[in-house]
Amino acid sequence: MAVLEVKNIEKHFGSTRVLENISFDLQEGQALAIIGSSGSGKTTLLRCLNFLEKPDRGQIIVRGSKLFDAADPATQRESEIRKKRLHFGLVFQSFHLFPQYTALKNVTLARELLAQEQEGFKSRKKQILAEIEAEGRELLSRMGLAERAGHYPHQLSGGQQQRVAIARALALHPDILCFDEPTSALDPELTGEVLKVIRSLAEQKTTMIIVTHEMAFARDVADQVIFMDGGVIVEQGDAEKVIGNPQQERTRQFLSRYSER
Amino acid sequence: MKKILSLTMAAILAFSLAACGNSGSSAPAADVSESSESAAAASDETASVEETDAAESEENESAAAGAEAAESDLAAIQEKGSLVVGITNFEPMDYQDENGEWIGFDADLARQFAEYLGVSVEFSEITWDYKVMELEAGNIDCVWNGMTLTDEVTSAMETSVPYCTNYQVLVYPAASSADFDGLTSLEGLNVAVESGSAGEDAAEALGASTVPVQSQANTLMEVSAGTSDVAVIDVLMAAAMTGEGTSYAELSYSVNLNEAQGLESEQYGVGFRKGSDLADAFNAFWAEKAADGTVEEIAVTYGLQDAVILE
Amino acid sequence: MFFMSAEFQTVVSALNEGFIKTVELFFLTLIGALPLGLVISFGSMSRFAPLRWLTRTVVWIIRGTPLVLQILILYYVPPLMKLFTWGGGETGRFTAVTTAFIINYAFYFSEIYRGGIQGVPAGQQEAGQVLGMTGPQIFFRITLLQMIKRIVPPMSNEIITLVKDTSLARVIALQEVIWMGESFMKGNRGYAGLIWPLFFTAVYYLAFSGVVTILLNRLEKKLSFFR
Repeated sequence: MAVLEVKNIEKHFGSTRVLENISFDLQEGQALAIIGSSGSGKTTLLRCLNFLEKPDRGQIIVRGSKLFDAADPATQRESEIRKKRLHFGLVFQSFHLFPQYTALKNVTLARELLAQEQEGFKSRKKQILAEIEAEGRELLSRMGLAERAGHYPHQLSGGQQQRVAIARALALHPDILCFDEPTSALDPELTGEVLKVIRSLAEQKTTMIIVTHEMAFARDVADQVIFMDGGVIVEQGDAEKVIGNPQQERTRQFLSRYSER
Repeated sequence: MKKILSLTMAAILAFSLAACGNSGSSAPAADVSESSESAAAASDETASVEETDAAESEENESAAAGAEAAESDLAAIQEKGSLVVGITNFEPMDYQDENGEWIGFDADLARQFAEYLGVSVEFSEITWDYKVMELEAGNIDCVWNGMTLTDEVTSAMETSVPYCTNYQVLVYPAASSADFDGLTSLEGLNVAVESGSAGEDAAEALGASTVPVQSQANTLMEVSAGTSDVAVIDVLMAAAMTGEGTSYAELSYSVNLNEAQGLESEQYGVGFRKGSDLADAFNAFWAEKAADGTVEEIAVTYGLQDAVILE
Repeated sequence: MFFMSAEFQTVVSALNEGFIKTVELFFLTLIGALPLGLVISFGSMSRFAPLRWLTRTVVWIIRGTPLVLQILILYYVPPLMKLFTWGGGETGRFTAVTTAFIINYAFYFSEIYRGGIQGVPAGQQEAGQVLGMTGPQIFFRITLLQMIKRIVPPMSNEIITLVKDTSLARVIALQEVIWMGESFMKGNRGYAGLIWPLFFTAVYYLAFSGVVTILLNRLEKKLSFFR
């Protein structure tokens, strides 16, 4: 069964239609790359999945349970949205680390706050917090940042900050990890270290959706690719096929413009 | 006076706007003011013409408050058990001794008056410019601070019988006393005066360009520092604070400006809320204490035996 | 030695009394206006348009009129209109002045808060949201400290101004330190015509604003661990 089913998502900003009839499935352990030019609706789609925007139509189903249905207000209660968000992790284009916390605290803060809601937190407080911290350090060392746990964001390079942000998203064990152009805000020489981390996550079969402009990377790392243009899905399928041998004229034009650059 | 008035008006305007207008209360206030206007006109024939509008609307305010005060002022004070006396620091009328106790000719008699009424006395320092507002707001019960009975004062307050005479004098550096002796015009001089005082009126009447400051004492500092040429203050204060053995030894005074204007000497009185029955109580008190020699005794203590009015 | 003289001792003890009033007014204003300003800033950022409009109008009125006038209105108008009275003594005057200061400064502070809150990037809020944090958690754990860091410099200016603005309280005869200084010109505690006490009050203001400046700088430094 698919981890994620997206059905007929539609979204308007005022009279501008930004998403129309977006439907796709994502299987456990697969990486999906979403490509397309700026303004094609890729980022808005990610924001819908993370409940930062509310779709006007459509459904979002995770592991068979309906998280969102535009036709059913019962699925849109503010109180539940917070928990539903936890199925997804989101890594922002410009990191959005919390500047007043160390790298480690950035990773563990949300976990600690959630743990406080658990029953019996008070009696096992020390142990729970120690476990969270240990896991935070482990995540940072997987990101190659074991030495930087005590650094504040402004003391880190852009690539290091983005890797902390990835660890922060992973700490909540999301079903699906989303990346919104994770290397676009980085200097070219720093993109490699971030792409390397994402590549290793793919090798460990992390379920991911990656909005990206790095075509070679998408072809290499992703199992599936969706090409979007003007708010609709133009073409989707195996990464190798969509990027290597596109069927649609619009896809071909987009890819050729890309390879010229 | 005009300043206080426009301030009051602005404040009331602001407030009534904020309160979205309670038109119901304006009708009875108008009724009262009509009667009090004619009363004021009858009792105060010398009121100058320029201040008609201003003075009349001021009357409305104080009359409205006074109508209530008239029924209850004496009783209200006896009920609350204290007489709040509005003063400024004004030697020799109201000033503090080494222990911070208020003493002076006015302060001592205010204590006696409170005792006469069977209540305790409380001195409250006020900003002199706002004395009418302080009274009408009920923050103080009387102004008892060597207050000259000007037209403005008598029209805005219920005043007592005069209890002391006073006139305005010119204060100048002793070294240049020759320049000022016998002067009858102040044209071309920068004259420091207390804002809102009788001295300010006198200086303006004699053609001076005035420098209004916050207190009579500040006027002496102006002259001493050379920022003003001369000052116009009460003779009682000039006598106490200038010349040999005082803080302003280099200043001296002369020239009775009341005479220079061809006016009578001024008289001091105590001011109460418009329409208050306390004024009558004071007059009875004063007659009693003047008759039994108490007033004269206190006057001698503060060197005012020539100025005090015992009749 | 003048500093040992009876005159100096007497004047200084009187100035100290006035200065205590000044300091009390200063701290009570901060204690009242700092939280009240935050509430007002929420009003001026409200999504409910009438509340936002009303708040911003009052902000305009309070910031557009002199504090001296506000003190006079607050102290004299309610009793003149027979609404209520503050009382004529020291306590009444002090209560009225403190109230006027709290209101005035709360509205000034509210605008600083508004700038501080709106200056925190929206991405910070969204990052908290996608990590499953509640609204209050996001405000207290993420936004608040970043906001405080942003507002400390403009707030410092305002607080130093408050040190000096306390002198306006003497307009309704509150006997703060300048009033006390002036009282020796008129006569106080056996001394009259003394000019120097008034100018000597500057020493108190300099010392006070100096201490406040040092404390605020320390706070600013404390918050410099992040950017």
